[in-house]
Amino acid sequence: MTETNKNPNLLEDALRNAVRREDAPEGFVLKVLARAEQQNSAANDAQRTSWLSLFSQPALRWSAVAAVTIAMAIGTIYYRNLQRQRAEGEAAKQQLMLALRIAGSKLQLAKEKVNEINTSRPEPQPQNSSPRSRS
Amino acid sequence: MPARSLADSTLDIAGVDFADLVRRYQSMVFSIAQHFLTETAAAEELAQDVFLQLHATLPTLKSEEHVKFWLRKVTAHRCIDFQRRRKLPQVSLDEAPEPMTPAQSSDPLVARRLQQFVASLPEKPRLIVILRYQEDMLPEDIAAVLAMPVATVKSHLQRSLALLRDKVTRTMGQVTI
Repeated sequence: MTETNKNPNLLEDALRNAVRREDAPEGFVLKVLARAEQQNSAANDAQRTSWLSLFSQPALRWSAVAAVTIAMAIGTIYYRNLQRQRAEGEAAKQQLMLALRIAGSKLQLAKEKVNEINTSRPEPQPQNSSPRSRS
Repeated sequence: MPARSLADSTLDIAGVDFADLVRRYQSMVFSIAQHFLTETAAAEELAQDVFLQLHATLPTLKSEEHVKFWLRKVTAHRCIDFQRRRKLPQVSLDEAPEPMTPAQSSDPLVARRLQQFVASLPEKPRLIVILRYQEDMLPEDIAAVLAMPVATVKSHLQRSLALLRDKVTRTMGQVTI
């Protein structure tokens, strides 16, 4: 009969000794670091090529070209419309300014006329004779 | 380790060097795999994979205690996955291989036979015994690592110890430790 069989603590101590930690194989850390570095660079490469690889498919490539062309056409039309609207707005503004200037000069003339009439009219005489004396 | 203890830990992992973590925990991770798989090359490969996974996961870990808990957990689960994927047969006592590393005990024969007995245990009890006696973990901590009830861990431990005692008696009856 073994002592471990009689005393559970002895068995546990023997187990602790049997499954104690062992040193990792030589160069373990370096191997892990090398693999981690490799993993990093692979991940970076995958990230770089992932979006470019989309264009390797013809359908996607042509779709992208079409999308860019349509976007450019829409942009050009929009820009031209904007320019035309701006030019129209500018012309309308000029016309309004001209109309205002004309109206202003007309008003000025009218004002001068009124002033002229007012200054040339004689002062009215006061009427203080009674109806009895006139007869 | 319970989640509360992890949150309470004040160690900041942000400044910890990955190489330093590998140096510090290589023995722990490798030994769990080695005692479970009893195959040095497979254990080394598994341990490397665990550290590579740590490298990718490190930013999400909050403290060094968290890292230790995470390493034990991932190593334990990878050991079970590895064995199932390889479809390694359950090793019977007679077929259990001689341990690769000779035990440095007062009685190397006993230690070597005990390693064989542990290797012949079923997956979960084997892991529980390894975590209990290699890592000196409490049943509560083992339960957290293996995501199983504490009562189940204690029950596995008791049954494993009884089984190991029985094997020791049957095969080494005349040997005194």
